[in-house]
Amino acid sequence: MKSSVESLPLLQGVIDCIDVGTLVLDANERVVLWNRWMDHHSGVLGAETLERSFFDLFPEQRGKRLEAAIGQALRSNLPSLLSQTLNRWPLPLYANKAAAEKGERMQQQITVTPLNLGNNERYCLIQVSDVTAAVQRENLLREQAVALRSQTLLDDLTGVANRRHFDMAIDRETRRARRMGTPLSLMMLDIDYFKAYNDHYGHQQGDACLEAVASALSTMQQRPADLFARYGGEEFAVILPDTPADAAVMMANAMCRKVRDLRIPHQASRSDERIVTISIGVASSDSSNAGEVYELINAADRALYQAKACGRNRVHSL
Amino acid sequence: MKPSTVLIVDDSRVSRLLTRQHIQVRHADWVVEEAANGDEAIAKAKGLQPDLVLLDVNMPGMNGVDAAAALRAMLPNAHISLLTANVQAATRQRAEEIGVGFMEKPITAERIAQLIAPLEA
Amino acid sequence: MVRLTELEHDALVELFNIGVGQAASAMSEIVNETVTMSVPAISFLTRATAAKLLTSRSSGNGRLCGISQHYSGAFDTEAILMFPEEKSQEIVRLMVGEAMPLAELSAMEQEAMSEIGNILLNSCVGALANLLGHELHGSLPDYHVGYSEEILAQAGSAETAVLMLHIEFVIERQQIAGDVAFIMDMTALHDLKQHVADFLDRSIGGAQP
Repeated sequence: MKSSVESLPLLQGVIDCIDVGTLVLDANERVVLWNRWMDHHSGVLGAETLERSFFDLFPEQRGKRLEAAIGQALRSNLPSLLSQTLNRWPLPLYANKAAAEKGERMQQQITVTPLNLGNNERYCLIQVSDVTAAVQRENLLREQAVALRSQTLLDDLTGVANRRHFDMAIDRETRRARRMGTPLSLMMLDIDYFKAYNDHYGHQQGDACLEAVASALSTMQQRPADLFARYGGEEFAVILPDTPADAAVMMANAMCRKVRDLRIPHQASRSDERIVTISIGVASSDSSNAGEVYELINAADRALYQAKACGRNRVHSL
Repeated sequence: MKPSTVLIVDDSRVSRLLTRQHIQVRHADWVVEEAANGDEAIAKAKGLQPDLVLLDVNMPGMNGVDAAAALRAMLPNAHISLLTANVQAATRQRAEEIGVGFMEKPITAERIAQLIAPLEA
Repeated sequence: MVRLTELEHDALVELFNIGVGQAASAMSEIVNETVTMSVPAISFLTRATAAKLLTSRSSGNGRLCGISQHYSGAFDTEAILMFPEEKSQEIVRLMVGEAMPLAELSAMEQEAMSEIGNILLNSCVGALANLLGHELHGSLPDYHVGYSEEILAQAGSAETAVLMLHIEFVIERQQIAGDVAFIMDMTALHDLKQHVADFLDRSIGGAQP
């Protein structure tokens, strides 16, 4: 600690002003320091506490985590954290007089730290923070995050449409195609040997690879109604309304080429060219065979499976 | 005084050596045998008929508590004690129910002395 | 990489089992439930291998929750307790029981995990320090979430080794597996081996064949 003002009065002033309960116990667990925050929130004045055993003042702490923590600090020189989640309201501390009257204890986070002064004297510093406000803030933030997440249509990682968006869109487009008698094509695609990529390069780089591929492919859809979405894990889907099978296959081939041209190295790939490639399954429906949503998805999945079976890095259409 | 027979049951070789050391330093003439797991302990105890059995609670396969129960049934007059670093009400209670003793780890000279005291009386 | 003799390896496994046993005892006090913990295996790995091993074992999204504390004194190490991210909420829920409303639980889950890490790591390191006869200085816990490579990178990028403990944690008949990584440089590793050898000399020096 550095100070340019005479230390002791300054320090006493600081200890009594800080917004943290501060007490120090000596090697015999007797209170040797007790600050104003503790006075204010415990209703026990400093004068009554000094030189008294901590466990005389707070007998309910015997056999509890706080006793173990004090022991660990004094005897093993190790600090401890008492979270308010696992240790509910350990000390009789109150936010204010009103709370004290109602018996509503404050939510406390406690740390116990060994303090080694010269000449082998060991002490134990106990700090108590009022975390009531923090807990409420966290609660609010969580609720808001949950609400937001349930409304979003974008995938966190890649920024393309998410599965929720896809589910709504495929439903809408299937019905529209059936009603209008127009062709509808669906692509299911995924990254070849992606698990091996993750195992070899680590998950962080796996994420980067997904982002790169998604970024390259999602810009290729020309029309506003076309949708590129992350279907799950390393799988993507493309909805192409008003698009017959041959046009969809042409686009799929272009997409395969584009990923190949990225030349992202993939040492763990089992193909000859050790780069990242994708396989694409294409399925289409037209006025003659407009079916249910799940039928189109199943067909595209089967086509994708065929593409894999035939060697990957290619397009297969049913 | 007739030399006693002790069976040490622990999957840790260091633990067994340490316990053996603490016993033999006080009683070089005692017979001290070892077992690395519950099954081995039961098999050895049949022939050995030990006066004292010390069992680690945390062992792979049959845990110490089940082995102790089996040994208590087999050796009604032996002193049997469970050793563990994980001191919990439930384990203490179980030990009482089976009719065996209970001692905290780590193994120290004082703790072993306490455990062999009944044989020295 | 430092090689331990079979006996030194056994001694370390036993020391850590004592440590986690004491931690389990402390945790069962908190939750009023039976808690058992054991260390079935330890290994010495490079940091890269350790990261790969952690990733290959995780079944969820590969993200881990890690609680780290730094220790110095008898030897220098960054100790990190890791659980798969999806397991950490399960652990806190098991520790807290039905008493807390779910929303409040998620809010302070990080804090609870930090305490669990604090209890477990201090117990392990404390048992080690006590038995080896040397004291350590420790820090309060830090909480991280991320992939294994990121979490293990806490200790910096210097040439380091990892002493990895695999931990089996059982509470309310639920079995959860986690890992503790002690990240050390070569000096610390040699210090540790020396301390363990000294401990064996002191305690069973004459007894072994």
